[in-house]
Amino acid sequence: MKHKILLALFSLFTLAVNAQLTTNLVVNARPSARLSDWSITKGTFTLIVSNISPQGNRRVKIKSVLKTADGTTVASTDLNKATIILIRDGNSIYDANTVFPLEIQQFEGSFQTMLNRTGKLSSGAYQLCVELVDPTTFAAITPTQCRSFFVAALQLPITMVPYDKQELDSRKAQTAITFRWTPLTPLPLGGVNYHIQVFEVLENQQDIQALRANQPLLDKNIFAVTQFIWQPQLGFINSDDDSTGFQKPRRFIWTIQALDASFKPIGNDANYEGRSESKIFIVNATSKQKGNNNGNKKD
Amino acid sequence: MKQLFFIIFLLVAVYTHAQKKKAPISITGSAGIGYEGYGLDKNPSGFPAYSQRRPWNQVRFSFMPTIKFSKNFSLPINFNFAAFPTNFAGPFSGIKNQNIGQYLTNPMNNFGLNPTYKWAEFQLGTQYLKYSDLSTGDIGIFGAGFVLKPGNYRVKFFTGNSQQGINYAPFPGPIGAYKRTHYMFSLGKEKENDYLVAFNFAKGQDKINSITSFPLLPTTPQEGFTLSMQVNKDFKKGFYIKTEGANSIYTTDLNAALNPLLKSFKPFIEARNSTTSDYAAQISLGKKSKNFDIGFGTKYIGAGFQVTGYPYLQPDRFEYTVNTRFNAMKNRTNVVASIGQRFNNVSGTTAPIAKQIIGSLNWFTQFNDKFSINASFNNFGFNTPGVLAPGGTSIKNVSTDLGVTPTYTWTNTTMSNTLSLGYNYSNYKETLIPFTPGPTVTQLNNTHTVLLSYIPVYFNRKISPDFSALYFYNDASLAKITFATLSAGLAVPALKEKLKLRGQLQYTLSTFNSFTPENNVVASCNVDYKINKKLTWTNFLSTNYYKYGNQLGNPFIGANYLESNLRTGLQYKFK
Repeated sequence: MKHKILLALFSLFTLAVNAQLTTNLVVNARPSARLSDWSITKGTFTLIVSNISPQGNRRVKIKSVLKTADGTTVASTDLNKATIILIRDGNSIYDANTVFPLEIQQFEGSFQTMLNRTGKLSSGAYQLCVELVDPTTFAAITPTQCRSFFVAALQLPITMVPYDKQELDSRKAQTAITFRWTPLTPLPLGGVNYHIQVFEVLENQQDIQALRANQPLLDKNIFAVTQFIWQPQLGFINSDDDSTGFQKPRRFIWTIQALDASFKPIGNDANYEGRSESKIFIVNATSKQKGNNNGNKKD
Repeated sequence: MKQLFFIIFLLVAVYTHAQKKKAPISITGSAGIGYEGYGLDKNPSGFPAYSQRRPWNQVRFSFMPTIKFSKNFSLPINFNFAAFPTNFAGPFSGIKNQNIGQYLTNPMNNFGLNPTYKWAEFQLGTQYLKYSDLSTGDIGIFGAGFVLKPGNYRVKFFTGNSQQGINYAPFPGPIGAYKRTHYMFSLGKEKENDYLVAFNFAKGQDKINSITSFPLLPTTPQEGFTLSMQVNKDFKKGFYIKTEGANSIYTTDLNAALNPLLKSFKPFIEARNSTTSDYAAQISLGKKSKNFDIGFGTKYIGAGFQVTGYPYLQPDRFEYTVNTRFNAMKNRTNVVASIGQRFNNVSGTTAPIAKQIIGSLNWFTQFNDKFSINASFNNFGFNTPGVLAPGGTSIKNVSTDLGVTPTYTWTNTTMSNTLSLGYNYSNYKETLIPFTPGPTVTQLNNTHTVLLSYIPVYFNRKISPDFSALYFYNDASLAKITFATLSAGLAVPALKEKLKLRGQLQYTLSTFNSFTPENNVVASCNVDYKINKKLTWTNFLSTNYYKYGNQLGNPFIGANYLESNLRTGLQYKFK
């Protein structure tokens, strides 16, 4: 009985002391789907710790548990590897780099496999739960704070029309060429600008070289819409020789870049330019000389 | 650059001396120099609706001879370079003043030498190498390497830089880039038209210390290592199979902390928080013959599969296509068709799987000497349920194109006449359905295009004219666009065919919704003069005049611009 009373008194004392240490967790409702981005992106997770304890500075570890919406644990901090943090008097602010350091998170089976392969989580709702723990006993010092967020990786637009290496009749193409692409998914709340560019592949150039080296003949931002009708205003006649720099027939490469509302690239994984795989179209002026008005190759 | 010229000169000099008593050196290929000038006059000056789209002045050089010193030794040279950088996409965007390293690796320029002795080829300077579809990439790399082909064995190696470090500068300066170094190696066995087995290795790494002013996020220093295995086999009667499987380990941010829990492949790459390891594979098989082809192709690219040489690779997809081509009716009918499907977001990291269906058909029949019909059909569909959360949107796109072009040709003793009338219908529908209650948004696009063309061919005259008239009407949800174009072309040889003249004149009247019409005239011509058997002087001139209606509003009602483009060059053919 005596022990129980002492234990109760100790617990009350501990809570009274820890009550002087409070936490507030703020999360971005739609953080990057790529987990390694969390530590380098401001505002992904912010933990505010207020210390008004009479004990002064406190040494703690941060225990984070990442869960799915239904409560299944995705990952939790390996507390043995977690860094001890010194909480000073007043307010301290910690970002994702400290709250959820990826290299010391222990992922559960299938989530670890997913992380290894993709660096991401399956799209869906998640919650992050954070508490401060004693650095030696790992006993909770503060109540657990949980916040929900939603994760969905981006799928960049895919260039569709003209189809890859499609041959266009020069007599139609000289008036209008229609471009179509798939939308960026999921659509961002602020909307998306599609930056369409068309480059001419000059003589002796590789296709990708033209994209990275030439000045675009079409360079336009289009908000939300996934189609553009281009009036090229180009003479598509050909030379027999090469020194004018035109290919025979004329060859073009086009691409779509996804930009956010402030015209910054919406990068995706290694593709930080947010640029979709380019496609080629060919304006077939030679068909004119053959008397063949077919837009597709038949020979 | 001076060193490169010196090396070439030295090689030529040494071998010229060594081969004096043997067969003479032969040189094939071409060399040329071309100038491009561009002008844009806007009235009123500075109105924003139209911008410069070519360099004001540009000079391009090409020097591409293949020097054959003997039966066994040749030296192909590929020098193509320009005086001024015009990079608008990729890491060199916005660069103005380049150092020598940046100039050499600028994708605008090629400086390549490929001395070849028997089965050994050395690759020096700029090379666009593609060991396989899933390993090395498609960008140019400046460096050195070799290809050895003793017997049926294949050994390849190359190392170099695809870009130099470029310091970031605020807009409109360069976006900045890290110096990227590549290593690639391939070991295999090959017998042409029979089989190929090869193992490919490719590594690329950004050098963090190559710059002092770092690019802004999301540009990060990256590193990747890829292994792939190719097996191809050609069978009798035109059957074939091509396969490749690859594994990439890719770090999207070299500044991220090391992570021993993730997959490394030491000593080539050590895993960090931003490292992924994923797979890709492709298979194609089929049969080819003179009058009938059929093929099946499939490709899978895992969500974490990346290659440093393919900067714009779009992973996380599975696709397959079936395509065929056949000739029938004694080659009077030719059909090309394909159908396929593509699944994006196979990993489930985006929204639910997005599906695309892609189908195309082109049918040509020559009924007799006078009459033929060409018909084409293209369709693609895109469907994703979207993110099943507030703000999420499900998207459905369907695009359908249908075209028919009958052509009639009649001939008399002096000329033949070809008349064709083509009609094309294009329908495009995009539907956005919000997850949370809200209106469904549908964008509809219907386009009708009619093209009438007439091409006379004179048997006793050397002029070749052609005429066409086109009507284009696009009816979209909020935009109705009309183009009516008249076009005429003429080709005329002169001076005993030493001079070739080609000209084209095109007028387009366009309307947009209820705004007043806009007018466009494009005139262009080619003048090619053959100075002698080896040297040709070519010229291209183009003028484009555009006058707006009242679409731009005040103070730009009636605004117009005159765009001009001149290209002139000398082309020398060595043989």
